[in-house]
Amino acid sequence: MTYLIFGNIAVWLGIGGYLFYLSTIQKRLSLKIRQLEVSADEQ
Amino acid sequence: MLNIRFLCLTVKDLKLIFSDGSGIIQPVLLGLILVFVFSLSTPIGEEVTAQAAASIFWLATSFALILVFNTLYSMEETNQARTGLLLSPMPLQHVWVSKALTGMLLLLLAQLFFFPAIIVFLGQENMAGWWTLLGVILLVDWGLVAVGSLLGAVSQGHAARDSLLSVVIFPLLIPLLLAGIRMGAHLLGGADDENLGAWGGIAFSFGAVFTGAAIVLFPFIYNEY
Amino acid sequence: MSDNSIMVRSIPALAVMGAAGLIIAQYFIWIYAPVEATMGIMQKIFYFHLPMAWWGLICFFVVFCASLVFLISKNPFMDRLSQAAAEMGLLYSALALATGSLWARAAWNTWWTWDPRLSTTLVMWFIYAGYLALRQSIDNPQKMRAVSAVLGVVAFLNVPLVFLSARMWRSIHPAVFGSKGGGLEPEMMTTVLVCIVAWGILTSGILFYRLRQLDIKDRVKNLFIF
Repeated sequence: MTYLIFGNIAVWLGIGGYLFYLSTIQKRLSLKIRQLEVSADEQ
Repeated sequence: MLNIRFLCLTVKDLKLIFSDGSGIIQPVLLGLILVFVFSLSTPIGEEVTAQAAASIFWLATSFALILVFNTLYSMEETNQARTGLLLSPMPLQHVWVSKALTGMLLLLLAQLFFFPAIIVFLGQENMAGWWTLLGVILLVDWGLVAVGSLLGAVSQGHAARDSLLSVVIFPLLIPLLLAGIRMGAHLLGGADDENLGAWGGIAFSFGAVFTGAAIVLFPFIYNEY
Repeated sequence: MSDNSIMVRSIPALAVMGAAGLIIAQYFIWIYAPVEATMGIMQKIFYFHLPMAWWGLICFFVVFCASLVFLISKNPFMDRLSQAAAEMGLLYSALALATGSLWARAAWNTWWTWDPRLSTTLVMWFIYAGYLALRQSIDNPQKMRAVSAVLGVVAFLNVPLVFLSARMWRSIHPAVFGSKGGGLEPEMMTTVLVCIVAWGILTSGILFYRLRQLDIKDRVKNLFIF
């Protein structure tokens, strides 16, 4: 039974971890794009 | 004379390697050290099993493979002469063939040193069938150099060449190494393995698959800077 | 790939459907499917293990196809597809290994056995981990794409050999969809299929999302080159 719980935890942690990784990349990208837009406006 | 031409490259590489010898001393030394260190894993007085000895032999060979092909492919790179190879009037596949052949010769030379080391440090004395043994070594080496020559060009111009290449190549080699270990264990007088022919088949198909893949795919790798 | 392409527009729908599918799958796993006679409730880990293993392998197959097409067409989209699929495949095979290992501990009282499917998955995991490491470590994007496409093709060609050699080494894995019934009751079969479909929808959603992200990343990078 405990193994089952561990298995579930592993699966959701894995998927969640990957999604979190993707979201941090996305955040960094949006920040960069916003910076680019701002600098383009200033020119 | 198309089929002879790649030999020029092989001869050139061999001359360069043996002019200072560093290209072959390193892999031989590393392999010998590996064999010696692994001999420490067995308590004194106990025998090393044939399978363990075979594994150590092929492991030493794989490390030698990485070093040999790094040297072979970095020779043009360090002298900034790679364009020369790209411009030479022959299909790029010949570069692959010639490097594979050179690598094969160097690997066999290294194994010539590993073999006595296996006998001395790991106490393997009941070898059966020298000719079969030679055949098995040649068969497995064929697969090794096919992969080594295809992917050796991958890490060209990269700072951490050796580690990158071993991370990429070692997992690919696993079926071939399994075959080599099983056949080697059999020939070193280990347990009778009735699957010897099947293992030979795996080693053969490995060599064939990667030779075919290399002939098609090598130009894609070597063309790019 | 423009922002209005079908792929990009389908991402939210796929995400919602995937999540709903997984919730339905939970019902099937815990309530609908019977508890297995010999292994007890532990067998339910199988409903995670199998979809993970299958989709992992399918992702690796996608890497293979995309790499092949890339070598022919030199279309950067195919290169991004192989990266996204390799990442998903690596994640799934890692989870399949983890759940498989836990299952092995419960069923056979050992964390790891030399089983063909298990070993093949592990070897694949190593190969594709090397593949992603290679992608990261080559600076020149053109060389990186060509090299990783070649590796993507070669890696999958290796799978049958890995499997055969691992099977000749030794085996105790149960044959699930084997010819002699495989010991799965129909309710369990339905549950497994529901899980596979649910994970598949979620996988394609994440894959498309990652593809779009890699596309944007490339475009931002290209802004600085010119």
